[in-house]
Amino acid sequence: MADYPKYRSHFVPRTRDGWIATVAFLVLFAIAMPPVTHTLLNRVYPTIFGLPFLYAVLLFVYVALIGVLVWALRRGV
Amino acid sequence: MEPWVVSTSLIFVYLIATVVLGIVANRRMSVDMEDFLLYGRKAGFIVLYLTVVATFHSAFAFLGSGGFFYTHGLGFWAAGTWTVLVGAITYVLGTRIWALGKAFGYITPADMLADFYESESVRVAVAVVSVVFTILYIQVQAQGLGYIINVASGGRISFQLGTFILLAVAAAYLMAGGLRAVYWTDVLQGIWMYLAVWIGALVLSYELFGGPLELWHAVEDVHPELLTLPGPRGFFTPGMWVGMTITLSFGIVFQPHMLIRYYTAVDGRTLKLLGATTPIYLMTLYIPAALVGLGGAVALPGLDVPDTIFPELLFRYSPAWLTGIILAGATAAAMSTLDSILHANMTVLTRDVYQRYIAPERSQAHYVWVGRMIVVALLAVGYVLSVKTFGFLVTLVTLSGSGALQLMPAILGVCFPGGRVLTKDGVLAGLGASMVTLYVTLVVTPHPLGMHGGIWALLVNMVVAVAVSAVTPRPSAETVRRVHGEVERFVYGTEE
Repeated sequence: MADYPKYRSHFVPRTRDGWIATVAFLVLFAIAMPPVTHTLLNRVYPTIFGLPFLYAVLLFVYVALIGVLVWALRRGV
Repeated sequence: MEPWVVSTSLIFVYLIATVVLGIVANRRMSVDMEDFLLYGRKAGFIVLYLTVVATFHSAFAFLGSGGFFYTHGLGFWAAGTWTVLVGAITYVLGTRIWALGKAFGYITPADMLADFYESESVRVAVAVVSVVFTILYIQVQAQGLGYIINVASGGRISFQLGTFILLAVAAAYLMAGGLRAVYWTDVLQGIWMYLAVWIGALVLSYELFGGPLELWHAVEDVHPELLTLPGPRGFFTPGMWVGMTITLSFGIVFQPHMLIRYYTAVDGRTLKLLGATTPIYLMTLYIPAALVGLGGAVALPGLDVPDTIFPELLFRYSPAWLTGIILAGATAAAMSTLDSILHANMTVLTRDVYQRYIAPERSQAHYVWVGRMIVVALLAVGYVLSVKTFGFLVTLVTLSGSGALQLMPAILGVCFPGGRVLTKDGVLAGLGASMVTLYVTLVVTPHPLGMHGGIWALLVNMVVAVAVSAVTPRPSAETVRRVHGEVERFVYGTEE
């Protein structure tokens, strides 16, 4: 069994850009998940550009998440 | 001209366009399985983009999402989480599946899993899960289509006839041009449904409220309870939010009609670009859906069937031509999912069952012919399931949304080297335990402790798969080196 192949985990980033993209995505994603959604974000006011607070903040977070994916693509992650 | 004539005519114009595309695709097709089943692995960015987004969004996204916003409020804006997650999954996982498919000639998800876990039992189990849990979506989409054409024609075309016509059209272009026809019609469908839902929502918001911002203000004044969580009926609990995010991202991506799309990309860069940009389309489709559902709750409260809010508003407040265009868009949403599921089931049955166990050494033309016959059989099954009422189907449909999610441990085990390798016994035991858990947590005691039943099943699946893998024989070193080595080279350009 000594020659059974072993690889470094693919769940852990190996480059600086990989770490940045992973951490940024996870942090932003956590903002769009409970408990943040059901506590801090769970309100109508103050409205943002006329939109309810919960809706507007989540829209911003979703756009930022897409931005992280596009950044990762441009950096070749 | 009466509104129903305009609406029905536009739907038939749309249907004729899809058949023409199928015929053109047939003339471009060469008679081999990779071309018929996988578009020759040559799908470029635009075609792949539109087929993925059109397939992901079914009739439910078009009609049901408005109903969800109407009933449960802004909680359905969680849609943004699962649509963005689909992009990330495509970026990270889809590219690995593509690389393995290209390197080893995989056509179905079962090809990949059976190869790595060195097990025909795994092939059969994955094929069964793939077919059983997606064939029911044929019924769901076909029923949606029958409903749409029945509504558009003002009841003049029966639900049964409408279902048959639309199923037959989808089967016809699939048989004619294979996956190429599906992809080309999906391009039309993806564009049509996106424009339709946006135009419809904007027209209605201006017609009823004077604009989208005024619509939001009206909802704040009349139904503020729709703008916070967990919604007026308490549906969007934290557990449900997380559960829907996982089941509607991984659960849909792991269905065979989505996994097979990863094999068809022309290169890995195309898939990365796809992953980074598909959430733009997928997420923004729910912006007009929110306008329709929430605006509808103010303008037309008390509907018995909330899913009908979009067509109800259209028939009351928009011109007939626009209603026709939008209902054709709803038809496109359902057909683009239906044709992909028909294709995926045909591919699995042809490749994993017929070619593997019934007639292994036949010509490519023979398998293409068999695939077409399987489509006819699926058409018949889909029609019967759609127009008859079977009690057990209600149970199976309840299970289906979370079924494909249970392939997650097996797929991650292949595509993510590192750590302990899962075994065929671990994968099979995990799948079996998850099916039992699914039945308990979705049917017997739905969503225990407020957590989605699909997540309970996945947790049990992972624990059992890891535990059993710890005490059973691993795949051979040669296979692990070949498959994981390919992933390592593709992702990092290094060896073990």
